[in-house]
Amino acid sequence: MLDSFILGLSSGSTCLFTCGMVIFPYLMAGTAGTRKIITDLSLFLLTRFLVYFILATLAFYFGKVIFTSPVFRNYISGILYMLFSGMLIWYAISRSRKPDCPAKIVETVHNRKLVPVFLGVVNSLGFCPALMLILTKSATEGTIVQSYLAFLGFFAGTALYFIPVPLAGKIRRKKVFETIGVMATGIAGIIFMIKGLTSLIGGIIYG
Amino acid sequence: MDEAIKNLTMRKSFGKSMLYTLPMFLLTFILMTGGRPDFSDRSGTIALLTTFLGLNILYFLMHYTGKTDKLRAILFIVFALTLSFTLIKNTIDIRQTMTYSQGDILECNMPFCHLVIPMLILPAAFTQSIIYPGSILGGFASISAMVVLWLAASVILGRGFCSWGCFYGGWDDGFSRFRKKPAIRKISDSWKWMPFAVLLMVALTSALALTPTYCDWMCPFKAVTEFEEVTGIESAAKAGIFISLFGGFVVVLPVLTKKRTQCSYLCPLGAINTLSNKVSPFIVKIDKQICNDCYKCVQACPMFALTNDDVKKGSVSIFCTKCGKCIDACPKQAIHYGIVGVPANRMVKFSRNIFLFVSFLFIAIFASGSIITVVKSFVNLFI
Repeated sequence: MLDSFILGLSSGSTCLFTCGMVIFPYLMAGTAGTRKIITDLSLFLLTRFLVYFILATLAFYFGKVIFTSPVFRNYISGILYMLFSGMLIWYAISRSRKPDCPAKIVETVHNRKLVPVFLGVVNSLGFCPALMLILTKSATEGTIVQSYLAFLGFFAGTALYFIPVPLAGKIRRKKVFETIGVMATGIAGIIFMIKGLTSLIGGIIYG
Repeated sequence: MDEAIKNLTMRKSFGKSMLYTLPMFLLTFILMTGGRPDFSDRSGTIALLTTFLGLNILYFLMHYTGKTDKLRAILFIVFALTLSFTLIKNTIDIRQTMTYSQGDILECNMPFCHLVIPMLILPAAFTQSIIYPGSILGGFASISAMVVLWLAASVILGRGFCSWGCFYGGWDDGFSRFRKKPAIRKISDSWKWMPFAVLLMVALTSALALTPTYCDWMCPFKAVTEFEEVTGIESAAKAGIFISLFGGFVVVLPVLTKKRTQCSYLCPLGAINTLSNKVSPFIVKIDKQICNDCYKCVQACPMFALTNDDVKKGSVSIFCTKCGKCIDACPKQAIHYGIVGVPANRMVKFSRNIFLFVSFLFIAIFASGSIITVVKSFVNLFI
């Protein structure tokens, strides 16, 4: 477990990179105090924890064959990125609309809880080299408990990087920051869309 | 009132304009020749003298006609075009292609441009390293030279750098002048904060990935300078993005809106330069005693820096690039270059003379190198 923790610690900045470009603008777009951010962060970490739990189970029972397949990786991450990008773009658009917009979907996406949950899924299934290592390790462990412990260590190591995030709640709220945050969230959505598309097309061509 | 307007006109007599041009004449000559004029190369001499005379004629006309923007724009657009030409020529001379490879990145052979600066700050602060694969001191367009030039210009001119120093701004400035009237008029005022969102994204992603992400993925000017060799899906996507952003933000939108949309909506350095307007001693002022609220300046402003509310309040916003378009558009001469701390309508001519001298000298020296190179190449075709 310790080696997984150290691996998580060493690769946590990569996770922060994936999330940083969403989490900072997202918090700016709706900075509402430390408590609200802690809720968002908890949802994000809980989702990551659950996804890792599922991954550990799948890795143990189905082996490393599925997860190390480049086609599988490209398709899964590509589709996830595109879904998430669509959500971010819609979130940015809905934030700039009038609050009494009658469209139901606007209200659904406007739901703040959805973004951290989805971010947690995307972040967990990023298939970075460190995650691939853990998946391989998990698949070759003797018991399922050891497989869970490997993921738990990895989760703890990467989660440490997100501890300072609630400090953002101390930032004084200003309309301008909110506008910039919403726009930056939209840009992050476009970046994820491109990432997803290149990943999917790469999977189709090279698969 | 008419007498007051007459007194405020910026036009000067021929003799007076010549007198004001004389210091620029001497300084540009010394700086362009490095103090040691060498006329041994025929095409080089023709190029040098043509550029030198062209620059000084423009400066003379600024004083003689009292107009700023159109004359500035001529130099600004020529600067952008010639710099792209020079950069492409240099990269083709060195690499035999407009593209760069991973090998060029590893060898730190990338020429540096000022748009990278926002991406350097956070990684430099946290890791004490420069994430751009260019030369710090030597070579063509070194990092230190560009940073020092930008810093000096931004402290003195503020966001004036975007209209008097940026070697890309001339592209969308040029395209924004294609139509007489804009086809798209209604654009939400909040879009002007977009460069800050881009700045936030590129600063974050660059700091976290330790690569200049704007150059890698978003810079529209890659389409007219150099771009990554297309070797796979990712590099093809990048090339597609560069061309789309150039086509959209630098060509189509400026033509349709008559605004500099790339500079107003996309450039992350523009966001930092907006903040530098707070330290610059030069400012554009509105004299509310003369202003008749015709809002011609609002329509003229190419940067979304002036709104009807700004005019009512009597002050331009921090987005102003000091291009002078609103000043030239004002029928009452109620808008003018001013100095921070000096009330509007005081020291109007002095402020303009000082601002023009400093800003024109900067762009003249900055632009002369690439203009000379292009003129020389042109002359060589005939000699």
